[in-house]
Amino acid sequence: MSEQVRKPLLEVRDLKQHFPITSGAILQRQVGAIRAVDGISFDVYPGETLGIVGESGCGKSTAVRSISQLHKPTSGSVLFGGIDLVKADKHTMLKARREMQMIFQDPYASLDPRMTVRSIIAEPLVIYNRRGLLEKPMSNLEIEQRVEDLMERVGLSRLFKNRYPHEFSGGQRQRIGIARALALNPKIILADEPVSALDVSIQSQILNLLSDLQKEFGLTYIFIAHDLAVIQHISTRVAVMYLGKFVEISDAVRLYDNPLHPYTTALLSAAPIPDPVVEKGRQRIILSGDVPSPDKERFGCYFYDRCPRRMPWCSCHIPPMFNHEEGHHVACWLYDRERDYREVSLEEAQKEASASQVV
Amino acid sequence: MNLTLKKHEESAINEFDQVVVGNSLTKDAWRRLKKNKMAVIGMIVVIVYSLLAAFAMFLPIYPYDQIILDHRHLPPTLTKNAGTLMMEARLKDLYFKAWKGGSLIVTEQQSAKIKTWIAANETNKVWDFCIKEGERQKQAGTFTFSAADQRTIDRLQEKIDTEFLIDVDKMFYTDGETHKKHNLAKMDWEEIMVIYADLLGVEAAIIEEQVQEEVRTQVLNNYKASTPDLSDAEYAANLDLELQTLGEKGIASIAKTNLLGKIKTSITRSAERELKKEISEGTASFPIDRSIKINEFLDAEITATKKHDRRYYLGTDYSGRDMLSRIIYGGQVSIAIGLIGSLTSVLIGIILGAIAGYVGGKVDFILMRIVDIMYGLPYMLLVIIFMAIFGRNIMNLFVALAMVSWLTVARMVRGQIMSLKNSEYVEAARSMGASTGRIIFRHMVPNSLSVIIVYSTLRVPAFIMQESFLSFLGLGVQAPFASWGSLVGDAINGMTLYPWKLIFPAIAMTIFLFAMNFFGDGLRDAFDPQSKNQL
Repeated sequence: MSEQVRKPLLEVRDLKQHFPITSGAILQRQVGAIRAVDGISFDVYPGETLGIVGESGCGKSTAVRSISQLHKPTSGSVLFGGIDLVKADKHTMLKARREMQMIFQDPYASLDPRMTVRSIIAEPLVIYNRRGLLEKPMSNLEIEQRVEDLMERVGLSRLFKNRYPHEFSGGQRQRIGIARALALNPKIILADEPVSALDVSIQSQILNLLSDLQKEFGLTYIFIAHDLAVIQHISTRVAVMYLGKFVEISDAVRLYDNPLHPYTTALLSAAPIPDPVVEKGRQRIILSGDVPSPDKERFGCYFYDRCPRRMPWCSCHIPPMFNHEEGHHVACWLYDRERDYREVSLEEAQKEASASQVV
Repeated sequence: MNLTLKKHEESAINEFDQVVVGNSLTKDAWRRLKKNKMAVIGMIVVIVYSLLAAFAMFLPIYPYDQIILDHRHLPPTLTKNAGTLMMEARLKDLYFKAWKGGSLIVTEQQSAKIKTWIAANETNKVWDFCIKEGERQKQAGTFTFSAADQRTIDRLQEKIDTEFLIDVDKMFYTDGETHKKHNLAKMDWEEIMVIYADLLGVEAAIIEEQVQEEVRTQVLNNYKASTPDLSDAEYAANLDLELQTLGEKGIASIAKTNLLGKIKTSITRSAERELKKEISEGTASFPIDRSIKINEFLDAEITATKKHDRRYYLGTDYSGRDMLSRIIYGGQVSIAIGLIGSLTSVLIGIILGAIAGYVGGKVDFILMRIVDIMYGLPYMLLVIIFMAIFGRNIMNLFVALAMVSWLTVARMVRGQIMSLKNSEYVEAARSMGASTGRIIFRHMVPNSLSVIIVYSTLRVPAFIMQESFLSFLGLGVQAPFASWGSLVGDAINGMTLYPWKLIFPAIAMTIFLFAMNFFGDGLRDAFDPQSKNQL
């Protein structure tokens, strides 16, 4: 891979997003935290599509919102174009935002019901124009023209510009959302489950539109979905997320062919195969238990409770990302090449854990 | 659905080759409002009312504060003038007295009927019956008034025929040397003073002294009225200060007004003498619009109308003031209070509610506790205290009402904003770099407009009611000014005898409030693109 050669567009390092749980009516004090995103690190390279997949509540959407600074991250850094967005001031942030746009999950909720399509698509242009942050200032006519061009580009008739969102179908609405995200000519688009609220037939239209746009404008996507097929279709690389952490990140082809992490294997085995013959012979790995609540601090592997291949060692050691092969990283002790932990007993593991904590 | 990519055109053209122009919510709302008939009617009524109120002084109506005691309690009429009505009222009274005295003879049955009416307090029926029966009998020759009664009638008739009102429109002064005419109202007060001294035939210095003294008394009285409960010494000390703040100009304008008033009175008096003479000679024909000469320097344009020729289409009140003009002028105060009051309260409410809802946390906590505390206080009392401290004028009334009425709006807006805060389109706006102000006022407030508009249109009647309540307590509008509330309040006393005094202001108010509600509903629908009521 050319990962070493190419400069990443976006570097996320140890990003954490904890939401405080408070109690008390007047003097509120923090009694705990929901660790929605608990230390994720990854790079995104220009022109690629990074798919993030995981079950509901694992923190995919929060991760994306933290990256785009809709929630101020608790800690970590998000380097975008050489700027750390977490520490950036408002003005720098605004400049960076021009290059980083979002597409939202629910096309019914993400468009202001009281704005016409034209106002919705023009809004980012108007905002940046008014602040003088566009490359060159646009007149109202130019904005109008740009809106019409964008509408045509995403496959909406420009005649619809005076209509309101409720007059459109879900797919059309998502096109409006995409047009809005494209308005500022961004480099990267964070798509938060852009197709999960849509009909299957519309999903493919939207996915194809997204990949067409990617080719045309050289866009980079971070694409969230819980549908494995969708991710496989659109992504060049895939990250699997569980309980606020990445468990595996790899090229899409390799991940689907050779899932390493027990969670990934289980997740992939859960996806139905649209071929009755193959489907019949599908081996399902059924995980026991539910996703644990993310409100506790954990010292062992996050997947320990449900892992079919757990070892005593895993209960008290958080696995780092192991570079299994070129471009395929996995956070599982099974793939540590330096040591085999299967033989380590619980006592030994705990002893080592406390020793490393002292150090 | 049209998903095929169209060829790039210069501008959007629909299937009828019409250019589709970009649109916004406000434009669209206006388009939708225009289609809603009831809302348009409501809007027109509100606008007509507001225009009538705003331009009341240019309307051809009698002054709202002119008291004519002879015209008290005249019923509304389209055909009869005040004189006829006065005569009717007197006749009713006389026939009733005649029936009581036994000179108007009626049948046993009729007598019993009258008695039951009296017992039931249905005075109008008694009078109507008496005058009908009396007139019939008088025609038939079976009844004649006593000599004393007849004299009363004749005297009243003479009064109706001869009395007149004089208005001095303009006064002119002709310069003895240049023979140029000057409008007195545009001259300096010193000049007017000399003219007045001339008119009276006294030294100008005496008049000057007199005028100075009058100004002082007037200022002192005003001051006493605005800040009571001070000792005489304090008043004396403050008087100079007040005069100083008035300045040369202020004093001059007061002096001028006083002098003009005096000259006007003397002109009126001499015009009266002249006209009376003409009437007794039988040469006068009303209405009179002429120029009269007072002396060789002074002449004036006067209009004189027969006092009892006036027509009161909506009747008169307890001191003979025209109800029509009182209702129109009352509308000025009521509409202003209703509209301005709810507008300010909604503005304050939206701003504070939006801040509390959007920022949340401590700001929200503090703001909402302030609202709670203000809710806890009896708020009419707050208004009353405010009015008592800062003085009773209409401006203070606005301020006082607006000050305490933003609470509910703030609460409502806060709730709306909180529920919208986490919606995806707000998040989308944030991810586009929209400022907090833009998010609140472009996204959240328009999306909570439906509630706000309905609430604020419902506030308008509430404000009008509160104003009338305050007027009733004597803290609102003071006589001779009127408001719908105070008109209704005044009319309550003689409700059965003089129902028109209650009915007309009430109708005026009801129509306005109805119109306001329809207009508000229309606005709500217009601002909601998803509304079911849209056309």
